[in-house]
Amino acid sequence: MQEDLKIQYREPLSKGELDENRWRNTQVGMWAWIWQRISALAIILFLGLHLTLTYKPVIQFLLLMTVTFHAVLGLRVILLDFNIVNVKYQKALIAGLAALGIVLFIIIWTRIY
Amino acid sequence: MLKNLHQKRIIKLFRYDPTTGEKGYYDRFEVEIENESKTTILDVLFQIQKTQDPTIAFRYACRVSMCGSCGMVINGREGLACKTILGNIKRKEITLRPMNHFPIVKDLVVDMDPFFEKYRQALPYFDSSDDNEEPAVIRPDSKEREDIGLSTECIACGCCVSSCTMMYHHPEYLGPAALNRAFTLLADSRDGLYDQRITRIMPSCYNCRLEFNCTDICPKEISPTRAIKYIQRCALKEPFRQTFQDSQTVEDLPAIEKQVKENPELSRRKFLKRATYGFGAATALVLGGVLASATIGPSIRKAPKQWLRLGRLAQFPPGKVKTISVQYEVIDGFYKSQMVKPVMVYRGPVTNPLVVYNSQCTHLGCTVHWDETKQLFLCACHGGAFDINGNVNAGPPPRPLDRYAFKLEDGDVLVEMG
Repeated sequence: MQEDLKIQYREPLSKGELDENRWRNTQVGMWAWIWQRISALAIILFLGLHLTLTYKPVIQFLLLMTVTFHAVLGLRVILLDFNIVNVKYQKALIAGLAALGIVLFIIIWTRIY
Repeated sequence: MLKNLHQKRIIKLFRYDPTTGEKGYYDRFEVEIENESKTTILDVLFQIQKTQDPTIAFRYACRVSMCGSCGMVINGREGLACKTILGNIKRKEITLRPMNHFPIVKDLVVDMDPFFEKYRQALPYFDSSDDNEEPAVIRPDSKEREDIGLSTECIACGCCVSSCTMMYHHPEYLGPAALNRAFTLLADSRDGLYDQRITRIMPSCYNCRLEFNCTDICPKEISPTRAIKYIQRCALKEPFRQTFQDSQTVEDLPAIEKQVKENPELSRRKFLKRATYGFGAATALVLGGVLASATIGPSIRKAPKQWLRLGRLAQFPPGKVKTISVQYEVIDGFYKSQMVKPVMVYRGPVTNPLVVYNSQCTHLGCTVHWDETKQLFLCACHGGAFDINGNVNAGPPPRPLDRYAFKLEDGDVLVEMG
């Protein structure tokens, strides 16, 4: 009779682990999620800089840019949460709201300076 | 014969041996396919198994994307091996890897027990509610039916769960597949297990962060994100719904429901509880309102105006502008402060009318001063200038200088400040 072979399952892989294609197939929805988090950290950094070194147009520009970016992605989340826009349009929302964000940014910037 | 994208394809296959238990490695195979547009990844795996390495392990059953057995990660993207056509893959090298978040049994085979365990937790079966008319009629064009849509087509392949990064960060997250199935039953008005199901899935439904990976890769083109958003909206309504007081197991629940209906004591307790909360809320509102208005009232109230003496009328010769600095007290909310402000008194020629100007420049509020040589009120901030009658002479101010109300009392000039 054969002895029972000791069977050991391997630990589950996480997304991207041991996968050289990890970022190649990332879709735009996932990028929106990542950029929302990154821009949040950037806002904390730029806000801190802005509050300590006030009246510097470079920092003000960067801060307004990150805030608009974060706000635009946040608006997309709100619209999708309450089904104001159907989930199937999530990619179109990124493009549409990004365009709106750029327009608002230009309007606000030209009003200040 | 159609021209293939590549002559040879390189298949990198993940290998794991359960008897040795190491981390796993990639094996490299070269395959030459006659007609790539008619060959699927599953066909490639069969070919490798037959001609090159008979020890490779992978799951399959129907081979026509109906059973959901052959889910794997192909070039970084989850999918069914029997549905992915070789001709659609542009890269010469194809990496085949088992799905994420499940223990790996051997090579491309994963242990699906955790998947089905979570599936079961969401109560994925239909149990008719007691007050259904027989037969229950759901119109095909009803909102309910359109909401559910084709989400019932799920074949439980596990691709969505594999693609969701939140499964790694939240081990207790039920996952897109289980929540999708729960959604199809929550939205179904014939189903009688709404309360039990929503209690089980509500804490987990907030783990979705709208990555949309599940929607992107689903072989049946279902959107679990849509389902999870629906559940989150149901969760918003939860506090306002009539529910059972205690959470029981699924078997006990009908007994509890009977108990509540038959026992008047329980409903009296409910009424008393509600009445106490209601009365408490009303008291809090009234008391809060009174305190709030007392606290912020003084700051909203307008400060009273006061008359201040500037001097005798004789002190203001005609044709000249005189600047007087007035001192007065201002009460702003709870804050008392002393104010010192210059006012300019001009007594015009001929009939000698009196004018008391406000020294605040009408552009952005800097203090103007009277320049005797230029006979102008000048503002140092942005170069604004006003003539002797208060009209704008030069610079950015949009309107003439403001004037204070004044009166003559027993030969004294008094100005109204505040």
